Amino acid sequence: MVKVLFSVVAGLVGAALLHIVIILALPQFTGKDAYSRVLGLFEMDSFYALTNEPGQTGLSNEDPFLRVAVCAFSVNNGPARFVARGRVPFWSLVVYDENSNEVFSMNDQTAVNGNLDLIMATPIQLVELRKTPSEALAQSIMVEMSGEDGYAVLRALAPTTSYEEIARNFLSESSCEPLSR
Amino acid sequence: MFRVPLLVALALSITFGVGILSAVSALKATVGFGSISLGPWVAFPNAQTADTDPYAKAHRARTGKLLYGGAEGLQFTAAKDDSGATLTTACSYDISGTTPPARFWTLYSANTGDVPLRATSDLPGALNAWTVLRKPDTSFVIHVSPSARPDNWLAVPRAGAFKLVLTLLDTPAAGSSGVIDLAMPKIVKTECGNG
Repeated sequence: MVKVLFSVVAGLVGAALLHIVIILALPQFTGKDAYSRVLGLFEMDSFYALTNEPGQTGLSNEDPFLRVAVCAFSVNNGPARFVARGRVPFWSLVVYDENSNEVFSMNDQTAVNGNLDLIMATPIQLVELRKTPSEALAQSIMVEMSGEDGYAVLRALAPTTSYEEIARNFLSESSCEPLSR
Repeated sequence: MFRVPLLVALALSITFGVGILSAVSALKATVGFGSISLGPWVAFPNAQTADTDPYAKAHRARTGKLLYGGAEGLQFTAAKDDSGATLTTACSYDISGTTPPARFWTLYSANTGDVPLRATSDLPGALNAWTVLRKPDTSFVIHVSPSARPDNWLAVPRAGAFKLVLTLLDTPAAGSSGVIDLAMPKIVKTECGNG
């Protein structure tokens, strides 16, 4: 009887350890996390507008009034630049690293003139950019990224159906590409 | 002579059974720690950040949602009404009051797995800050019901238990710890049955 009790207690201790291991290790091997889903769209360096119904990787416009576009990018070979212009009632952008931790987020009221012009770069690339300031990047917001890979989520608001086309155009005309200079 | 292997098997089955089940149920039960609840409304303002707890990180890796960044907005969900009863499409509810300050808000319904419920396209399955009809003091009353209602009607399909999702866009609530003082709209059950 004592032995049975002992094995139950040992089992419970093991269960507690396994619980902790599963919780801590899960983000590494789910394969269903947002970054894997964005990569699964096979669209690097451009904004991919999501559909209202869940697509092949399960991503969709969840909010009926928000149109969403995603873009996987890497600052490995140079800074990445995000540009969008247009008159939607509201837009917002969030940049995540590969572990889906928020790196930077902004909306149209925190942007210069209401236009999106953002550069993500590693600290070394940022030093290079600031050493040789160029006229074209004078209005750009520059943000440091500690990792190399990540994804950006751009949302545009369409409060009524008449705004639908404006929001879709805003997303389709936005760009997310390596900075060329 | 099989006593020792039997005891080892017992210990191992408890380890794996309880360990896996408790981890899965913990991830299903909640998004993590660090929630703020205002009446029935619950939000996780830090779930997308690097310094959130391991449960929140495991949960977001498992669900794979595109979360809202701090400058984007804050998403509240409610699975219960103000009296603490689970929301169900067998009943009708009134959402009344005002939202915390935000540039815009949207309201829609989702099933218990956080998948949005789509009412048929010609029914009003979602409302927002522009389309809602307000009283002179800017407060509003929204009738949540599977059958048609006058004024603000949020149509829900007959699908059993559901959640309400209220997203505040560009709100100071997302970045402030003073969010506890904010007033959220009340959810009150009005009637049940086919009425």
